[in-house]
Amino acid sequence: MVHTVEQVKNSMKINDWVSIEENYDKLNKQLEKVFRVTESEVVPRVYIKALVMLEDFLAQALANKDAKKKMSPSNAKALNYMKQKLKKNNKQYEVEIEKFRENPESEVEEDKDSEMMDQSETESEAGYSDEEPDKIIGFSDSDAGDEEPEGGDGPWEKQKTRKEKIMDKQFAKDPSEISWEMVDKKVKEIIAARGRKGTDRAEQIEQLTYLLRVAKTPAQKLEVLMHVVSAQFDVNLSLNTHMPINVWKKSVQNVLSMLDILAQYPNIVLEDAMDPEMENESQKGADYDGPIHIWGNIVAFLERIDDEFFKSLQFIDPHTKDYVERLRDEPLFMVLAQNVQDYLERIGDMKAAARVALRRLEHVYYKPQAVYEAMRMQSRSVTTGENIDDGDSELDDEDRQMTKFSSDMKGPPAFVSVLEIVPRQPSFPELSRTLMDQLLSLIYRVGDERTKPRAMLCDIYYHAVSEEFHTARDLLLMSHLQDSVQHMDISTQILFNRAMAQLGLCAFRASLISEAHSCLSELYAGGRVKELLAQGVQQSRYYEKTPEQEKLERRRQMPFHMHINLELLEAVHLVSAMLLEVPNMAASALDPKKKVISKNFRRLIESSEKLAFIGPPENVRDHVMAATRALSRGDAEKAIEVIQSLDVWKLLPKKDHVLKMLKGKIQEEALRTYLFTYSPYYDALSLDQLIKMFTLSESQVHSIVSKMIVAEELHASWDQPTRCIVTHNVEPTRLQALAAQFAEKLTVLMDSNEKAYEAYTGGSLDGPPAGRRKESQDYASVTTGRWQGELSTAQGKQSSYSRYGSTGQRSLFNVGRTSQSRVGGTGGYKDLRSTQGNVRGGTTYSSTFQSTRYQDAYSSVGRTPYQSGSSVRGGQTDASGRMVSLTRSGRF
Amino acid sequence: MAQYDLTYKIAPYLERHLVFPLLEFLQERNLYSDDQILKAKIELLAKTNMVDYAMDIHKSLYHTEDVPEAMVERRAEVVGKMKMLEEAAAPLINFLQNPALVQELQSDKQSNLQKLNERHQIGPNQIEALYQFAKFQFECGNYSGAADYLYQYRTLCTNSDRSLSALWGKLAAEILMQNWDVALEELNRLKEVIDSKNFSSPLSQLQNRTWLMHWSLFVYFNHENGRNAIIELFFQERYLNAIQTNAHHLLRYLAIAVIINKRRRNSLKDLVKVIQQEQYTYKDPITEFLECLFVNYDFEKAQQKLFECGEVIENDFFLGKQAQEGSFVTVPLRDEFLENARLFIFETYCRIHQCIDIRMLAEKLNMDYDDAERWIVNLIRNARLDAMIDSKMGTVIMGTQRSSVYEQIIESTKQLSIRSYMLANGVVAAAAATQGYNL
Repeated sequence: MVHTVEQVKNSMKINDWVSIEENYDKLNKQLEKVFRVTESEVVPRVYIKALVMLEDFLAQALANKDAKKKMSPSNAKALNYMKQKLKKNNKQYEVEIEKFRENPESEVEEDKDSEMMDQSETESEAGYSDEEPDKIIGFSDSDAGDEEPEGGDGPWEKQKTRKEKIMDKQFAKDPSEISWEMVDKKVKEIIAARGRKGTDRAEQIEQLTYLLRVAKTPAQKLEVLMHVVSAQFDVNLSLNTHMPINVWKKSVQNVLSMLDILAQYPNIVLEDAMDPEMENESQKGADYDGPIHIWGNIVAFLERIDDEFFKSLQFIDPHTKDYVERLRDEPLFMVLAQNVQDYLERIGDMKAAARVALRRLEHVYYKPQAVYEAMRMQSRSVTTGENIDDGDSELDDEDRQMTKFSSDMKGPPAFVSVLEIVPRQPSFPELSRTLMDQLLSLIYRVGDERTKPRAMLCDIYYHAVSEEFHTARDLLLMSHLQDSVQHMDISTQILFNRAMAQLGLCAFRASLISEAHSCLSELYAGGRVKELLAQGVQQSRYYEKTPEQEKLERRRQMPFHMHINLELLEAVHLVSAMLLEVPNMAASALDPKKKVISKNFRRLIESSEKLAFIGPPENVRDHVMAATRALSRGDAEKAIEVIQSLDVWKLLPKKDHVLKMLKGKIQEEALRTYLFTYSPYYDALSLDQLIKMFTLSESQVHSIVSKMIVAEELHASWDQPTRCIVTHNVEPTRLQALAAQFAEKLTVLMDSNEKAYEAYTGGSLDGPPAGRRKESQDYASVTTGRWQGELSTAQGKQSSYSRYGSTGQRSLFNVGRTSQSRVGGTGGYKDLRSTQGNVRGGTTYSSTFQSTRYQDAYSSVGRTPYQSGSSVRGGQTDASGRMVSLTRSGRF
Repeated sequence: MAQYDLTYKIAPYLERHLVFPLLEFLQERNLYSDDQILKAKIELLAKTNMVDYAMDIHKSLYHTEDVPEAMVERRAEVVGKMKMLEEAAAPLINFLQNPALVQELQSDKQSNLQKLNERHQIGPNQIEALYQFAKFQFECGNYSGAADYLYQYRTLCTNSDRSLSALWGKLAAEILMQNWDVALEELNRLKEVIDSKNFSSPLSQLQNRTWLMHWSLFVYFNHENGRNAIIELFFQERYLNAIQTNAHHLLRYLAIAVIINKRRRNSLKDLVKVIQQEQYTYKDPITEFLECLFVNYDFEKAQQKLFECGEVIENDFFLGKQAQEGSFVTVPLRDEFLENARLFIFETYCRIHQCIDIRMLAEKLNMDYDDAERWIVNLIRNARLDAMIDSKMGTVIMGTQRSSVYEQIIESTKQLSIRSYMLANGVVAAAAATQGYNL
């Protein structure tokens, strides 16, 4: 660069404007390079010097008209060009140039030092350098004139802040002289600089923190605190990275001290919308009685802090110590949230309090009692054992330390010292349930459209974790969330999916196999569980994600400690599918109308049957397939052995219990499968032999066989004196079989006719229901009847059970556990949603078709992801992409 | 057996006065200690105006002659209030006691009110007073008076809420006077009102239904036709819904009503379903019996539960009503229940067996061999059982109950014709409608 400047000088001497221009451009390019290398935008001295020189020379050249005339045309052209360029360019560096002109040499050294300093400061900032290239382009491209004045802001700002620093030092020397106005003015200045390019955010924070100490009135202190926190949030601009942890901790402390002030001076009111007139209210002193309005929104701060916490957990590698360290900060947040909530309740802002309560809830709901206990103990030990953990306790005393520090060393004592009123120690109730109940009741009472369903889902999740399947299920069904969740935001949908998964696990532990299966099957229907649960990104074969989508998806990932173990989930799903599907397959092996319970499972079986050689099982799926093969032969022992060898079971809290349950179930289903498969080949079966074969008790075998006989699955009857099952197998003649088939086909035809009729007329047929639909149809009509009459007896409970088929209720969201004995006392959960009761009658028929089986109580529960999936399949094409990544159930 | 006692569950849904008979019954059965029950009684009476009675109970509870001050004061207060209310309502009562005048009243409420106002100076105030007075009478235990007044009040009342509570009052009074026929009428009237009325919130409607069901227990288990009616009422989906959400314990009564009702076999299936759904919240020997029998086909266990059922029924106020027959004290409902339950067991047993040892059967049915044989013979004779007895082997051999292939095909095609007929009709109707529309 220096070299180029020399060249400029030389050509100046010979008045060669062409080479000057060339060299000038070169110089600018080099400047750019320098900027890149040093990552600073302070203009090197040499450059300024060259500019000054050029300017002077230019003025000289222009003045000398004779010389101009003498110049060659190319030279003259270059001169004019140069004139324009220089004018424009020099505008940016006006200040520097001025300065340089004032004292050309003396400052050089000093400036260089500060440059170095700045450089190191700026380097520490993340994302800072990103902005540089833009600016440079602005520099060198003379056409982009608009940008240049802006670009010039950077260094100017820099200088100002440096000046401010000096001013601060002055302040520090003489604290008593600082008046309210001075502080106010200063704050405004700093705030004005906020958000501009080139503002050093870290420095801003420092300055503000200093101002905090000298703030004159509590109100002002609060005001400054507000700005400090917002400045701290500014430190990290990118959405994809998280805030530095120490900054996070500091901002937590700041919000806490905000609460201190608010608690100490109840007359200070925080307001979102601010009248300009009220701007100076913070002038009023501590003894002022009337209300003081300060701009600020503490809930927004809290939510931001929470989001940052969440984000940091997303980004920290879960297998490192950092992650654990970070998790330890959770109680800190809980304290803060608790205090904020208390404050909001005190001032009567219940809506916001409910939002905060939800935040707290979302930190608790996934924790079983043991984990909760651990958190509680940990938070206690942190606060009692002082300074053990450098994080919390030290920061707890930050206020105090700061004052001490400042009085000892150089700064003034804080003018407004605020006592620590707000408790710094979290007070967790002993049982997480108690905490949950507190929060939930608040949210149900005052929450809004978003918080209520979320709280409900958290509650369901929690119940599922704590083994209360029925309560969780009732809550889910009564809230009709599965109908409305598709219209909610993605994170709520994720929460819903998580709750469903957990509900499935819970059902499994409670040995409710078919419930577990129906909870989980839809989750697995599309094969994108990871995506549905937001536990990792899955690549799809059919569909490329755009980077934005991927980014979005990454952003909503669950932190690791909240994950539901996928392997366990898969094992549970497949095992329950196996238990249901294998006997079903055996039963309907020869039946033309096959009822498929789990399509997913069927697919797996087919693919495993295609294998020429079957190796020893490796993953969960192989294990289950091996067990399936054994089970379909009726070999219970082998199946049990294979299933029990799965590793994932050790993740279950009550492993032995569950395994025992599983063993029993497998034995039972093996018996059923055996009977289905082989009974046609027997004339009679002895009870004792069956008992021995399947190591079941006599009453169990008897009960199972009886059930099958009654359900006409098994054409047999007991011969009591000989303890035998006598089968009645009648082989139909060919004519009979054909006739039966013909009748069957006619029925199918009839069904489709009726369907078509309904599709055209929209109504259903009245009159005697026919055939196998009798039952479900009865139910459907009955349910709609009830719902029409009752609209919202607040209890859609039954509708749940089987009769979900009837669509009549789809549009009802009335929940409410009324004051029942079960809840104990009055009002559990009242009207989740306003009762929007437009019951559609009439269309009952078509929907009942789907749920002919009484057992699929859950069909609609489980169906949700699928439904939303189908609705999204359309959405995919129009590239709305809103829910795409979440609920594409992938039935292509 | 106290664990199966439902009094504490039922009581919240009843009127104070209605709980009283329940407590009396409990006292007789000796399920709880006398002291406990007497205390409960006093508490019950504290809010009512039956002060004299409360005093008596207090005396017997603490074995003293002293009565607490509060009670004496309350007595004076009650008497005073009664006087006051009586005066307020006097003009109207006088009017109503004159049958000639009452006959003048017409069906139109508005004109009646006008007439009253003009001729007899009886305005809304007096009518209100009548209501208050009736209520007071009821609280004092004078049910017949209360019932009369409430009846008359209803003819004059215009406020629907008031009229509803008057209905409740009337029903309670009739129940307490044990006028079952009248009570049944009132019950139906009340049911109509509840079902038709637009309640402010569905919640209160549900609440009302629950109350109604509880109160109806008094009526249904005492009225001769009540057993049909209870099934009808409880199986209405709205009420079933209420049971499942609010009052699972009512399933016991429903179950019993279904079991003892021979003509209502088909509702059994529904009942079992409901019981299964609710088994995690409510369980007692009766529902468990049904579950054992119809879900698990566990006959041993069903037998065992049946035994427990007997006791439960005896200890239930509504079910365990005793009848004196000479020197015997029997519980007719229990016997009926046991008989029917036995029949159920046997029937189910027969369905899945083709050959049964009578000896074993007798054991299961709690009969001796000859009785069992006679019983079965009777069943066969009444054509309720398709079976033969092999008396040499001591077994019953069931007839085959499988339907032949032909029957199956006929069955399925029969339905087809009905359905297609319906469909055709529907199409014709739709076509006619569109044609009419086009014209």
